Amino acid sequence: MLNDFIDQFGPSTVGGLAAGAIYALIALGYTMVYGVLRLINFAHSEIFMIGTFSGLAVIMTLGVSEPQSGIALIGLLLLLSVVAMVGSGAAAVALEQIAYRPLRKKGSSRLAALISAIGASIFLQELFAIVVIPHLYDHPRGRDNIGTQQLLDKEPLFTLGNTDVRPDHLIVIVASIAMMIALDFFVNRSRIGRGIRATAQNPETAVLMGINIDRIVRITFFVGGCMAGIAGLLYLLQFEETRYNIGFVLGIKAFTAAVLGGIGNLRGALLGGLALGLIENWGAIFFGSAWKDVIAFTVLVVILMFRPTGILGESLQVARA
Amino acid sequence: MLLEISDMRVHYGKIEALKGISLEVDEGEIVTLIGANGAGKTTTLKTISGLRPVSSGSIRFQGKNITKVPGHKRVLLGIGQSPEGRGVFPGMTVHENLLMGAYARKGDLSKDLEEVYGLFPRLAERKTQFGGTMSGGEQQMVAIGRALMTKPRVLLLDEPSMGLAPLLVAQIFDIIREINRRGTTVLLVEQNASQALQLAHRAYVLETGQVLKSAPAADLLNDPEVRAAYLGGDLGQPEEETSETG
Repeated sequence: MLNDFIDQFGPSTVGGLAAGAIYALIALGYTMVYGVLRLINFAHSEIFMIGTFSGLAVIMTLGVSEPQSGIALIGLLLLLSVVAMVGSGAAAVALEQIAYRPLRKKGSSRLAALISAIGASIFLQELFAIVVIPHLYDHPRGRDNIGTQQLLDKEPLFTLGNTDVRPDHLIVIVASIAMMIALDFFVNRSRIGRGIRATAQNPETAVLMGINIDRIVRITFFVGGCMAGIAGLLYLLQFEETRYNIGFVLGIKAFTAAVLGGIGNLRGALLGGLALGLIENWGAIFFGSAWKDVIAFTVLVVILMFRPTGILGESLQVARA
Repeated sequence: MLLEISDMRVHYGKIEALKGISLEVDEGEIVTLIGANGAGKTTTLKTISGLRPVSSGSIRFQGKNITKVPGHKRVLLGIGQSPEGRGVFPGMTVHENLLMGAYARKGDLSKDLEEVYGLFPRLAERKTQFGGTMSGGEQQMVAIGRALMTKPRVLLLDEPSMGLAPLLVAQIFDIIREINRRGTTVLLVEQNASQALQLAHRAYVLETGQVLKSAPAADLLNDPEVRAAYLGGDLGQPEEETSETG
């Protein structure tokens, strides 16, 4: 058993980091929206799904038919990133406008918004399964997995000990961390970032500072959507397939990562995502990969018993004075 | 008239919190609203800042009807507020809190910051301390300083003496007098009625969402009814505030 663990430790770590990086990117959307509105946006998993389909649309439109390399690959990845970010970001803004804002304006309870979130989630999944995938993606069976062309060569780039590191793993990990650093900088250094933090810490006082809360909420959804869009693209790159309910399990895992790291806390989302990815992949060595989800959620329960606010605690808003 | 409120009604759900309040604040005055908990003082200030919608009646500021202007735009018009409970951003430093006051406007802030730090030397010593870790008095200074950073024509102060020791209350009231002397109009909500009446030019007494009385502050200090109801034993006693917003 221990020998297995030593043998598989390297590959599991790389796989865990790649999976965790995607959880972390999705988790940012949950955590930012929670920080600003104290709302769990359960339809965020579908924003991720829309990111995968935005990427797929570009690949189909361009007719990419073989793995790319060099400048062509870089150009393709940049184009895919922009389209996935805009696609998911716009979907997130529309979601807020249609499913949450009217309730907020009426001063309804957060429970109502939660039900609305679940409704929006089911609506978007079914919309894709019944309408979008059969008609726009030319795939009559809307509930099947939809494969895509391999975009880049997946021969190992280099080997560390017994661990092969594939270029797609490297791209996923590096791109996720770069996005997180950019987001952290945006929230902590920019003027809009100050507006987001002020709104998270005390929305009423934020209005007294001249902050337009509706605008801040819209930006928060957009930015969280962009991160989910990139996550969707990276998922597509790594696994080369998607489907209408691809967001379901990943969304729950990402939500778990957000809670694990401390919901409302951006760095917590990164930490929680990577930790979750590593734990479930390491655990799978002992118990088999069928037990991944059991391991992930057991760890969540145990950590929350001892640290109910997650590893880093809340920080976007901090405890209210 | 700088600020003119006529027959303003505000509801929380079906409950009528303000039942037709009319009041006026003239350029350069200190006006105070006194009254018991739940009289509607805080709701009045919140509604002036646009945090609560008006059911009927109107708010005019510098002659312009602002009843329908959204809250965040009223700041730029010149309505600044230090809110109930201070509303300091706990995860930001003193300096960041002050800068938030200037969020909506552009231009050089160094002179305004210098003026606020001049009024509150204590804050200058603690620029990098986080708001959430400060004492009540210091947080009150942050809240007032931050409201001044919005460059208000009228400064709304909600219970600046709440929970503070008598010596600090006197200090805060001195600073309010100084702010007014430098040309900012002040609308002050207080439970600490005797000190508020000594500071203010005019006063309104609120009771259950209505204006019970309005007069020059000095007259109210000698009014037997007001003395009995509001000046009884509250001198220097910091009172527990319960939110009237429900």
